[in-house]
Amino acid sequence: MTSLIRRELKALWNDPWQFALVTYIPILGIISLWWLFSAGMPRQLPVAIVDHDQSQLSRMLARRIQANPAAEPIGYQDIASAKRAMTQGEVYALVVLPYRLKRDLLTGHSPTIEIRYNSQFLLVGKLLSSQIQLSLADGLLHVASKKQLALGVPKAQAEINLRPVTSQTTALYNSNSNYIGFLVPPVLLALGQLLAMLVFANSLNRELRLNTMSEWFSLGTRRVLFAKMLVYTPLILLQGRFILAILYQFLNLPLAGDFGLLLVAQVAMLLAVWLLVLVIFFLLQDCARVISFCTALFAPAFPFMGITFPTLDMPVLAQLWRKLMPSSHYIDTHVGVVSYGQGWDTLADQLINYWGFLFLIPVIIFLATRVKRAHLADQSLSPEGAK
Amino acid sequence: MTFWQFLLADLRAIVMDKAIAITLFGGVLFYSVLYPLPYLNQVPTEQMLVVIDHDGSSLSRRLIRHADASPKITVTGQVSTIETAQSWIESGRANGLLVIPHGFRKDLMLGRGSTLSYGGDANYFLIYSAVVEGLVSVGLDASKYVQLVGLLAHGENAKAAERSLNAVKLNSVPAFNPSLGYTPYVVPGVLLLVLHQTLLIGTGILGAGQWRNQGYWRRVSPLMLISGRICVFFLIYTLFTSLYVGHCYYWYGVSVQATLGQVALFLLPFLLSTAVTGIAFSCLFTRRDLPTQVLLLISMPILFVSGFVWPLELIPEPLIWISTIIPAVPAIIGMLQLNQMGASWVSIMPLWLHLWGLFALFFMLALYGVNWRLKREPNCES
Repeated sequence: MTSLIRRELKALWNDPWQFALVTYIPILGIISLWWLFSAGMPRQLPVAIVDHDQSQLSRMLARRIQANPAAEPIGYQDIASAKRAMTQGEVYALVVLPYRLKRDLLTGHSPTIEIRYNSQFLLVGKLLSSQIQLSLADGLLHVASKKQLALGVPKAQAEINLRPVTSQTTALYNSNSNYIGFLVPPVLLALGQLLAMLVFANSLNRELRLNTMSEWFSLGTRRVLFAKMLVYTPLILLQGRFILAILYQFLNLPLAGDFGLLLVAQVAMLLAVWLLVLVIFFLLQDCARVISFCTALFAPAFPFMGITFPTLDMPVLAQLWRKLMPSSHYIDTHVGVVSYGQGWDTLADQLINYWGFLFLIPVIIFLATRVKRAHLADQSLSPEGAK
Repeated sequence: MTFWQFLLADLRAIVMDKAIAITLFGGVLFYSVLYPLPYLNQVPTEQMLVVIDHDGSSLSRRLIRHADASPKITVTGQVSTIETAQSWIESGRANGLLVIPHGFRKDLMLGRGSTLSYGGDANYFLIYSAVVEGLVSVGLDASKYVQLVGLLAHGENAKAAERSLNAVKLNSVPAFNPSLGYTPYVVPGVLLLVLHQTLLIGTGILGAGQWRNQGYWRRVSPLMLISGRICVFFLIYTLFTSLYVGHCYYWYGVSVQATLGQVALFLLPFLLSTAVTGIAFSCLFTRRDLPTQVLLLISMPILFVSGFVWPLELIPEPLIWISTIIPAVPAIIGMLQLNQMGASWVSIMPLWLHLWGLFALFFMLALYGVNWRLKREPNCES
């Protein structure tokens, strides 16, 4: 076995691309993706304000929006230019404070403040819409409470009259609603899965590329495969550990459970990835096509994880496809361990969910024997032909 | 070899090469279904809520009924402690919780005010926002109801009471993607990226397989090779782009604002610059399995720097600078503005010129690269 492992390590050393895939490419990828989202929370996003009223009240409301960390108001003279800014993506929302806002409010009419938000950028748009509404409602409440005080209502009572039911909202498990905690782990996981797939597919493809399939078969199909797994599983696991270290040790994101559980879950995920890649490899037997097929299979893993869009709201077909992705199984464990601090018993249940992948083993054996037989037939033919 | 002969030979090489044919024809069709698949139901609805009702009054029951009636929430059960509620969330039986405090109704009727507590699983932002939006509107309704009862009890007439409660209306309306659907949000950007990536992979595999070998590509000048190959891929991708921007946008309910002529005119430099970028890129490889790998790894970063998932304002400047040499980035930004947000042609003109600039830049690089590759002796091993 040691000689087989040495064979694999030598191959890794002699292939610059493969070597890059296990060393500096993951580091570069992980760091650049984290850097991309490093702002953490959407803040100071440009918002157009068209103030037709120009009163003390309208200016106060604009200041309220300014005070909200998510928004950065930019004044526009007319609606047309504000609209143009919005269609060009320069501002993400548009607030129109109507003419006679203050007068209507004081004389008992009910004026309307129009808010338009860019829902083509759904995430940012929805966030801004709710933040702007909160800021404005707060400002208006302030005005209304003055009105109550003027009517002679005591201050404490006035507050209650205006807002009898107050609400306290808590974001469980990601308490400051940080996007790094929300988006970066699944993004890095998707990247990690891609790297794992490529590394393993390359190590199999190399046997095709350098015409060493017969050498492989003479060394023992299973033993060479085990050697590959023994070399690449720890290497990829090291990348996984690096990702976890960045997130939960360097960036100090909260981690409720243990690293150990996550690493065990990663091993299970990697084994499932290996099985899928093996099926495709023995089925296609062509370097470029193996990579293309694996890419098609693994590239869209991210949307199926159910982090950005809830799993239960996906159509049945998507939920089935999701089951095919090792990363979707892993992400459930990841969220469970990181947020809920789940233990080994829950992990055991989740690992059982991978059972479907076991059906790939007989398929791989069948395909591998077929490939082996074809190779042996080729070999026995060619020397005779030469004679 | 004439230009026409080269075109035919190149087209044949693409269609007969299984790896390229699968990536182009199979991949483009496959991804058009697979990427939008999770989002087909558009908006998260009926998120599961667990309620802790410490009050047990008529008003608290009314509140729970209202919450259940909200389209965003469905009440799955009531428990007695917050710990149990949390374990429900952790085991996936609920996405959020609502706590109604003891003496809720009594306090309100006595004019003392009361506080409702909401919690949502913020691991999933869309679920969290659905739960919170649903609950906040239910809470506001309860608030209004109590105020109304109070005002009426003080002898105000019903109409005046209504008006004083709604002193200022906040009318917040989504622009551009009126249904707030997830597919119209994701599809336009992702499909353009799929076109970009598969085109680069196709040209990449084709070039990588040819440089070291003998064949029709050695019988033409580099200039003719590049122009011919651009023509062939442009032809194929005109079909794919029509399928995506035409049929798929329609199928997935993406709002479309620009005219056909404008869209075609904008996508022209996108396809040309992507094709020539692919040819230049292919000169870096002689192994057919490598271009796909490199492009696969940079797909996600390209998607994120094109600014519709994560605001451009928050992306570090150096990453933005690097992204300007990728044709997909100005193309996605420009198409979203032109076709989804209804920007005028004049305002997206800089992005259009940017794409032409990339075309010129990569044409020079491709010319240099192909020249360099073809000058080397052909190698017999494949």
